[in-house]
Amino acid sequence: MSPSEKTRRLSSLKPGTAGHVHHVVRDNPDRADRLMALGVTPGASLTVLQRFPSVVFLCDHTELAVEPAVARAIVVTIE
Amino acid sequence: MSCAQAVVREPAADLLLTLRARPRRIALVGNANVGKSVLFGRLTGQYAVVSNYPGTTVSVTTSKATVNGEVWEVVDTPGITALEGVLTEDELLARRILEAREADVVVQVADARNLRRGLMLTSQLAAHGASMVLVLNMIDEARAHGISIDRAGLAASLGIPVVETVATEGRGLAELRDALGRAAVPVFAQAHRGDHATLAHELSVQYRRYRPHAVARFQERLGRLVREPLTGLPILALVLYGMYLAVGVFGAQTLVALIEKGLFQRFINPAATSLVTRAVPWAIARDFLIGEYGLITMGLTYAIAIVLPVVATFFFVFGFLEDSGYIPRLAIFADRTFRTMGLNGKAVLPMVLGLGCDTMATMTTRILGTPKERLIAVLLLALGIPCSAQLATILGILGGVSFAALLTLFGVVLLQMFLVGFLAARAIPGERSEFIMELPPLRMPQLGNVVRKTLLRVRWYLGEAVPLFLIGTALLFALSRLGLLARITALAEPVVAGLLGLPRDAAAVFVMGFLRRDYGAAGLFQMSKAGQLDAVQAVVALTVMTLFVPCVANFLMMVKEQGLKAALAILGVVTVIALGTGTVLNATLRALHVTF
Repeated sequence: MSPSEKTRRLSSLKPGTAGHVHHVVRDNPDRADRLMALGVTPGASLTVLQRFPSVVFLCDHTELAVEPAVARAIVVTIE
Repeated sequence: MSCAQAVVREPAADLLLTLRARPRRIALVGNANVGKSVLFGRLTGQYAVVSNYPGTTVSVTTSKATVNGEVWEVVDTPGITALEGVLTEDELLARRILEAREADVVVQVADARNLRRGLMLTSQLAAHGASMVLVLNMIDEARAHGISIDRAGLAASLGIPVVETVATEGRGLAELRDALGRAAVPVFAQAHRGDHATLAHELSVQYRRYRPHAVARFQERLGRLVREPLTGLPILALVLYGMYLAVGVFGAQTLVALIEKGLFQRFINPAATSLVTRAVPWAIARDFLIGEYGLITMGLTYAIAIVLPVVATFFFVFGFLEDSGYIPRLAIFADRTFRTMGLNGKAVLPMVLGLGCDTMATMTTRILGTPKERLIAVLLLALGIPCSAQLATILGILGGVSFAALLTLFGVVLLQMFLVGFLAARAIPGERSEFIMELPPLRMPQLGNVVRKTLLRVRWYLGEAVPLFLIGTALLFALSRLGLLARITALAEPVVAGLLGLPRDAAAVFVMGFLRRDYGAAGLFQMSKAGQLDAVQAVVALTVMTLFVPCVANFLMMVKEQGLKAALAILGVVTVIALGTGTVLNATLRALHVTF
C-alpha cells in the first residue's frame, strides 16, 4: 500500500467518498460470503452514496443498501 | 453423448427437425435480476412474469424451444448469488439441478455491467463440470455506462462461448442459438481451486474497460431524489396518493359505476332475470341464479362489476412501479422499523407484493434470509396486508365515507402489524438476517411489458377468484335454503352485534370473508350502499375483515410454505386479533362519539 492511501471502514465515510474495497472483515463468515457474492470483493471500486437511514453505496455498477453493522465490516482504501 | 440421447433421425436427406428420445435441456442460471426470464421468453416464446427486482421467479419454469432444427427443453431458474457457502432455498435448488446433471447445456446469464459478479458465479458453475455458454445481457446499458468487454479474449480465457445480448429487444438471440452447439466445459475449472473472487477480479480487470461517461446522469439524480429521506418520503407520499387516485378514484368509483350501473344493473341483471324467469320453471333454481344469493345477481356482479375494475387498475399501476425499480428502494426507509419486528428492509418486497396478492407474496417470502423472518413475514401478510381485490372494496366503501375513515382503518391495521411483529420477533426463536440488498437500476417501464403483465394477472384473477366467488355464492345459497345461515347468524350475533356493534346480517358477510376477504368486503360494499351500515360500522367491519386471513388459497399456500401446524396457529392468532381489534375499535369509536 502506498503511503498516500489509507483504509477506512465504510460506516465512517461521507457520501461522495470513492475508493476500492480493501477487504471484508470475516468475523461473520455468512455476511462476508453474501457480500462477496454481490461483488463486494477486494479491488472492486466503491462510492458512498448515502448514510441514513441505510448505508447505500455503489460497488462497481451494483447499487447496494446495507444496515450500519454491515457497513462497519467493509474496509475501503481511499484514493 | 450418452446412448439415452441417441439421435433419432428421419430417413430423409434434408435435416428439418432432429428428434431425440429425451430432448436436450438448457438451464438458464444466473444472478438475480439479470434478465433470465426475458431470455426464457425470447427462446421459448412463452411469457414468464418479468419484473425489475430480484425474486420474481420463485420456482423452476420449463418450456420447449426449437433451436437450429432441434427441439430443446429450456429451464428458467430463480436468481442465485452463489453455489457455495450458506445457500438460500433457491440456490440449493439450482445446485441440485447442476449436481443431478439435469441440464445438457448451462447458459449462464450475467449482467454485463457487473462482470465481476457474473464471473464469480461462472467460476462456481465451472466446478460442476457442465457444458456452458456465458451470456452478457444488458450490453446496451453497460455501454451507456462506458463499459466495454473484450468478448473474444474472455471467451478464450474461459474456454466457453461468450455472447452479448439485449434480451428485452431480442438482440443477440441468433448468436446465442448458434453458440448452444459450441457449448463447452470451462477450461479453468480445476486450476483455481475455489478462489472464485481472485479469478473473477483478475479476469474482469483483464477484459473490461471503462470509458468516462456522461450518460445516465438523469438516472443518478432520480436515484438520489428517491433514496434520500428529505425528498424520498414526500415522493413516497406522492406515489401513494397517485395510486389512490388511479385505483381508489378511477378504478373503484368511475369504472365500478360504469360497469356495475351501466352494464350489470341496466343490461345483464334485468336480461338474466327475465330470461331465467321465463325459461326456468322451478322457483329454487330461479333463486339459485338470480335471487338474493344468486350466482348471477350476486356472484358475478361482485366478481366482475365490483372487484375486477379495481384489481385491473391496481395491477396496471403496480406493474408500472415494479418495472421502474422503485419498490426495492422502499427497503432503505423500512429497514429500521422492520428490524424491530424481527425482519430487515428486504421484507418490503413480499409486503408490497402482498398488496397485489397475498398468496403470491407468501410464496415470495422465500427470498428472506432465515426461517424466523419467513414465518413473521407470512404471519404479517395474513394479518395486515390487504390484497388488491380487498383494497378495491375498502376504497370503494370508505372513499365514499371520508378520508379520516380511511386513515383510521390503515392506521389501526399498521399499528396492529407493528405490535404483532414486535411481539413475534421476541416470541419466535431464531435470528433475523442482516440487511444487505441490491437495488435494481431505475428504468422507464416498457408499456408493452406492463400491459402484458396486467393481462396475465387479470386472467389469473378471473381463473382463481371468480370460481371461488361462485362457490361462495352457492354455499351461501345452500346455507340460507337449509336454514343454517339463520343459525350461524344467531350464533354469531353476540360477537357480530354485541362486540363489534354491527347489524346481525353482517354475519353472512363474515362467512363469505372466510372464503375470500375481498368477497366478504364486497358484501359489506353492498350493505353500505343499501344504507345498512353507518360510518363507524363500516370502519369496524372493514378493519376486522382486513385483519382476517385473506382467502382459502392463501391459507393453502401458508400450509405449503410453513406446514399445517404453523398455518393453523397463524389462522387462530389472526382470527383472535381481528375480532379483538374490532371490539376495541368499536368501543373506542363509540366512546369518543366519532362519526367520521
